[in-house]
Amino acid sequence: MATKLRLVKIWWRFVLLSTQDQFLTGWAAILFIIGKVVRFCFFFIFLFVVLSATKNLAGYNREQVIFFFLVFNLIDIIVQCFFRGVYHFRYNVVKGEYDFDLGKPWPAWFRPIFGYTDPLDFITLIPLWSYFIWFVFSRHLFTGVGDLVLFLLLLGNSIILGFAFHLLACSICLLTTEIDHLIWVYRDLTSMAKFPTDIYQKFIQFFLTFTIPVVILFTVPAKALLGLLSWPWIVLAFIISGFSWWGSMKFWRHALRKYSSASS
Amino acid sequence: MKKYLQLANLTFQDYFVYRLNFYLWRFRSFITFLTLLFFWLAIYGNQESFLGYQKSQMITYVVGVAFLRTIIFGTRSTDLAPQIRSGSLIKLLLKPIKVFKYFFTQDIVDKLLNFLFAGFEIGLVLFILNFSLYFPQNITTYFFFFVLVSLAIVLLFFISMTLSIISFWTEEIWAARFLFMVIFMEFLAGTYFPLDILPSWLTKIIYLTPSPYLIFFPMKIWLEQLSAEEILKAILICFIWLLFFWWLSFFLWKKGSRSYSAYGD
Repeated sequence: MATKLRLVKIWWRFVLLSTQDQFLTGWAAILFIIGKVVRFCFFFIFLFVVLSATKNLAGYNREQVIFFFLVFNLIDIIVQCFFRGVYHFRYNVVKGEYDFDLGKPWPAWFRPIFGYTDPLDFITLIPLWSYFIWFVFSRHLFTGVGDLVLFLLLLGNSIILGFAFHLLACSICLLTTEIDHLIWVYRDLTSMAKFPTDIYQKFIQFFLTFTIPVVILFTVPAKALLGLLSWPWIVLAFIISGFSWWGSMKFWRHALRKYSSASS
Repeated sequence: MKKYLQLANLTFQDYFVYRLNFYLWRFRSFITFLTLLFFWLAIYGNQESFLGYQKSQMITYVVGVAFLRTIIFGTRSTDLAPQIRSGSLIKLLLKPIKVFKYFFTQDIVDKLLNFLFAGFEIGLVLFILNFSLYFPQNITTYFFFFVLVSLAIVLLFFISMTLSIISFWTEEIWAARFLFMVIFMEFLAGTYFPLDILPSWLTKIIYLTPSPYLIFFPMKIWLEQLSAEEILKAILICFIWLLFFWWLSFFLWKKGSRSYSAYGD
């Protein structure tokens, strides 16, 4: 317990440092926030216009599709907010900076994953959560406390899955150092869940459930809150998440054993 | 000319040194294409027409966007900004080579390679799913499409160079690019949907920016949904934006490079 508390304290120190770093150039921070908000608004307007005309997407009405889009944004931004450090990891490996981390009293994966928490994502989360709660209640999408609890549990499950994928990306980075686009592949694949994943063909849905489990990350929590989730999916979500966690930890240890300080 | 051909050759080889990155980049473009394609297919369902577009026209639009994105938005001029900040630009300045031509040569190679790969990937999807695409009936349509796409390639190059050159005056190089190139340019270019499905007051504002002339208007020409007058107007506006960004990028470059002291790592 004491070790975990110490890690939380270290993480908080990282948060303060990354906040200072981000606001060092204030105008850049403002441009980033504007960019994130504008991107969200553009997609929202697009969905609203299209769905107002068609009324239906893969059996979901306009409100439900926008709900999926909001849940996607919530989970995506939370995961990005916590695990932004991964984007800096390749630089640290190539420059040899990561070697210094290995002698420090924390797990070897701690800094690559939690070393940079994005305060700008956190800022955008506040209005997004507020709007999401307002949207759910005003459009009568709230189906009961049981579904809410399940949604929150599956939200936590998604964060664990996000962690597992980011750790896998770090492991591959340790082995190859040539992995600039891998995390962006993850981002692009996950962006397929901006819309209900039922719109994709069966083999794509299978791929999005069992390879990079985008369906478990985004669609399953959203369906849980809508009260549309069956028990086998809930069990499957936790099994896939647990397996991903275990597998990524195992692969990380393997990658670390092969690591031979690749700095230039 | 010979040295730029040699540079093109080196750039080409460079892509195959870091093959994994290139394949992953292609995979990313492919995912974006698939997402958009399946979204629109789900929207259409059994309908043949939606918001003024026949199903085959919308599929053609999505396929066209995938190609045009590759050849218009794919640019290496983004590399200029980190070179300015790190000081490594000095290596380029000392060579008997023009910086603008250097990056434009790299751009052309990038676009050619990506175009070939995109052709293969998209062709495979179209073959498997057996879609019918819309091809223009009039030969002049191909000509105007080619003219506007060529202008769009050059326009995007100068916009991107302008954003990179700003690095002469600021430490932060990614924020402005993220906002203007990734968010505004791509979205307002019509890369996700045809812009004319938006309310008309909004499209009128968007048409005043350079973005729609990069993807949306070339695709409207291809789909033969513009009159001759509208085509000429689009080409003229694109050309005016091109002149503006050509002037701005050279103006900023002259100002920035004159006071550049190449400090960095």
